[in-house]
Amino acid sequence: MTKKPALITGISELAPQKNPAGQRTLALLAQAARLAIEDAALQKRDIDGLLVTPPSEDSAFMWPAQVAEYLGLAPAFLNMVELGGASAAGAVARAAMLVERGICENCLCLSGGVWDSQVFNTLQGKMSVMSQAEIDYELPYLPMGFNTGYALIARRHMQLYGTTPEQMAKIAVDQRFNALQNPLALFNQAPLTIEEVLQSPLITDPLHLLEIVRPCSGAAAAVVSRSKSEANTHTAVSVLGWGEACTHNSIVYAPEITISPVKQSARRAFAMAGLKPADIELLSLYDCYPITVIITLEDAGFCAKGEGGCFVADNDLTYRGDFPCNTHGGQLSMGQASFAGGMSHIIEVVRQLRGEAGERQVARNRLAFVNGNGGVMSTESSLILGRAEDE
Amino acid sequence: MSDQTRKYHQYLNQGELWLQYCLNCKKYIFYPRSHCPVCWQSELEWRKSQGKGRVYSYSIIYAQSMTDHEVPYIYSLVTLEEGVRLATHIVECDPKEVYVDMPVEMAIRKIGEQLMPVFKPAAPV
Repeated sequence: MTKKPALITGISELAPQKNPAGQRTLALLAQAARLAIEDAALQKRDIDGLLVTPPSEDSAFMWPAQVAEYLGLAPAFLNMVELGGASAAGAVARAAMLVERGICENCLCLSGGVWDSQVFNTLQGKMSVMSQAEIDYELPYLPMGFNTGYALIARRHMQLYGTTPEQMAKIAVDQRFNALQNPLALFNQAPLTIEEVLQSPLITDPLHLLEIVRPCSGAAAAVVSRSKSEANTHTAVSVLGWGEACTHNSIVYAPEITISPVKQSARRAFAMAGLKPADIELLSLYDCYPITVIITLEDAGFCAKGEGGCFVADNDLTYRGDFPCNTHGGQLSMGQASFAGGMSHIIEVVRQLRGEAGERQVARNRLAFVNGNGGVMSTESSLILGRAEDE
Repeated sequence: MSDQTRKYHQYLNQGELWLQYCLNCKKYIFYPRSHCPVCWQSELEWRKSQGKGRVYSYSIIYAQSMTDHEVPYIYSLVTLEEGVRLATHIVECDPKEVYVDMPVEMAIRKIGEQLMPVFKPAAPV
């Protein structure tokens, strides 16, 4: 890499909340923004870029301006990044471009919102996240939202490659072990066993209840900067590479549902960073369901196509293990705080690369791979982050 | 509802599944739309489907809160002989019997308010 890469200089993450009562998206975003600039040892006036993920309840019309007004910001660049669950990683990638191009000094990437299951479990709520084609050609058949899309991927992967329910459940189990050391995680009270996962009710076969992410409310933020403030005592984290890809919106029209656009997004990220999967020491992979992790591992090149199930069974994904992945517990144990679910993976990697992950700190923490995933493996945004001192 | 979706339903209401065929690419497309997603030409001709295909993947749904539709039901992606894939139900089939690659044939059933194409196990040849 010839030019100086952008740095992540500040992070914040609010504890995910099950109960949406009394919460407002803008208030959550304001709290996350304040904590992130404090973490970066910056003042509000230092922020000259704003990238925000979509609102979950407010009108999306002019959303970046709504957020800028609420926060009293007058940014030189503002935009909404809408890549579903890949939005947060996409925001960090865009912020890196803005900073490296000299358009912004400090770009605030803001993600989060209120999630009210009462609203989103209604027909109207489901339709609000569907394209017209999905409403016309899928909704009449009553899919169980995103769950069924991933169930279709899992079923076909099992058929083609012999992936087993135990292998998928093991991801939830290892991640729960990680969450037990994360005070922010929604599910950090008790460990989980493979038997418990497989004995939880089948919802949309082959997915069991404990393999399905729990949407909730929350917010998280990252500050992407040209340089670190002198007062900032944290280790800076470099955005070494990123890549994006999209092959479909609805899974019905994916070229082959067991192959995701991670194949392209990861390849682009590794090429930009001049690195390869074997260089990576820590992973943080969007995990709305265990099958998402398996497909991502395969398509990013951490194992061969079809071997993801065996790979997770043979490797220890915990923070103590040989292949640490989703050391915060993943969204399966952390909770999926609106669009901040995707940001959570980035925040955790920054903690680990800084050496600030406490009880769950990994030993090897130089280089990390992060993947954001939107829709039903529709949009992918991959990031390669590294400890800046090692530049 | 788009003109193409309206047309799709007109055929279903007559008991038939019709698909768009791109005269430029010489291939079927799905879902119906104004332009071919491959070549962006708009010379799309409606042709009647033979209604035969294979299960591409499936999920047995045990819980849903949207309607009073009976559970479980088999939600499926079916690849038609014409080369396109669509979302559908597998009907007249025990959930224990369905499998990836199972040959299926079309039937038209009312789901909710609409007549929609569904698929049942193909009769042995």
